[in-house]
Amino acid sequence: MVNAINEKNSAGSTKTKQLVIDSDVHSYFNSIEELVPYCDESLQKRLNIGPFKKKSFNGKVVSSGEFRFPECRYINPGSVLRLDAFSPNGSIPGADPEFVAKDLFDRSNTVYGVLNSANATMGAFHNVEIANEFNSVYNNWQYENWIEKDARYKMSMLVTPLDPVAAVKEIERIGKKPGVVAINLQTTSIPLGKRHFYPIYEIAEAYGLPILMHPDSESSGENGPAQAVGPASTYMEWHACLGLIAQRNIASLVCEGVFERFPKLKFVFAEYGMAWLPGLMWRLDKNWKALRDEVPWLKNRPSEYIRRNVRLGTQPIEEPFRSKDLLEVIQMAGAEDMLLYSSDYPHWDGDEADRVFNSLPKDLKNKIFYENALNTYNFNR
Amino acid sequence: MGELKSVTLCSAEDLQPGERQLVKVDGSEIAIFNINGQLYAVRNKCPHQGVSMVYGSIDGTMLPSDPHTYQYGKHNEILRCPLHGWGFDIKTGESLFDAEKCKIKTYDIRQEGDSIVLYLNKEPKIVSLIETNACFVS
Ligand code: FES
Repeated sequence: MVNAINEKNSAGSTKTKQLVIDSDVHSYFNSIEELVPYCDESLQKRLNIGPFKKKSFNGKVVSSGEFRFPECRYINPGSVLRLDAFSPNGSIPGADPEFVAKDLFDRSNTVYGVLNSANATMGAFHNVEIANEFNSVYNNWQYENWIEKDARYKMSMLVTPLDPVAAVKEIERIGKKPGVVAINLQTTSIPLGKRHFYPIYEIAEAYGLPILMHPDSESSGENGPAQAVGPASTYMEWHACLGLIAQRNIASLVCEGVFERFPKLKFVFAEYGMAWLPGLMWRLDKNWKALRDEVPWLKNRPSEYIRRNVRLGTQPIEEPFRSKDLLEVIQMAGAEDMLLYSSDYPHWDGDEADRVFNSLPKDLKNKIFYENALNTYNFNR
Repeated sequence: MGELKSVTLCSAEDLQPGERQLVKVDGSEIAIFNINGQLYAVRNKCPHQGVSMVYGSIDGTMLPSDPHTYQYGKHNEILRCPLHGWGFDIKTGESLFDAEKCKIKTYDIRQEGDSIVLYLNKEPKIVSLIETNACFVS
């Protein structure tokens, strides 16, 4: 396997540049109208797009007749999109596939980038028919406009977590297409370990597709609050507490025996942080020793299942008081094979590949930036 | 520190109010701004993860206040990193959260006649204007 390319710098000496696989890149459309050619008439009508576009009384009224995505209820005081990523053609950051490839992939030496839709929030939409149809349409739009445009683009496909039957059908429809490398499930108030999801897990495992979770529209629609004890007041609280969702879901997956039932199925938690991992593992392991009668199907320590079946996107990486402590945290959890570099481009809280992890040893960096992703997704399907 | 050396960067026409430019002085990039006729120059590298400050927004900030009260101030005096939004006082380069330990380097920049002139510690060998992508200022 080739691990790095040699680059000649201007002085003529060579230095190796780390190859990168990016587990979290966001694709945007400039306007939802871009989906019109992919929607049948009835969906256009229900989304109020194309010929059915509502004018909101010329913008004078914020009309509930407009289609609106379920969304995060918190207002970022700055910008959610990085301001250095506007495309020369005027597209908003993340909406021009050619420019994203240049600005992100070329610059960071990225071999593959996994696209996670910027509109992966329909898991919280009450009308499941619309959610199902939107997700299929979005999958088609993304495939045609991104995956087919540059071989470095790979994607997680959207499915509706509230409708496992439809989710399975959608996976049967496109889950084996080249370039589709994960299933973007989205959070709801149903913990991930519950039987509700097993039909999805069964086909995901059979197709070799990891389940990818990413913050989407917590506290909105079908979603419980991200903050466990009740809704936050500020964006800062919401964002800092996102890791609670991953912790709660991982505990559910372990205790319900999902990793015994589906031993080959991987779960990628992107954008929930990682520094909480040692504590979660230690608590679950300790409780398993005393309370294992409740979960007699767990043959191994919870931490062993987590290490085998869970992967964590690294962004936004925690920045300890002493930067070298990051290595300690990784070692404390034995998470060397679990971490997947993610840029989160073009979002405001992304990590730059050439700056993040500079305090880590080279071998570990190569795992995080490259090898672990190769062992998680099937890029050659 | 010896006497500062002056370099002419461009004509005043090329840096009108509301405009910004990126210049390369030997190895380093410097972002220059004209905010309502006031000129500012800062190192084009955020001290956090190194991204280009020339794409940063310029705004104000909430001044320190009592819990559950807000007071906006320093309008147009804060340059924010285009990635994570760390704010810097554009006059002093001091960050809003740790003025002593986290700063961005600032330079003396003036309009002299029809020229924009930058003052540096040492005579630069090469000075050039660099083209930027569409700059979006929020
Ligand atoms: S790179 Fe500037 S604030 Fe992070």
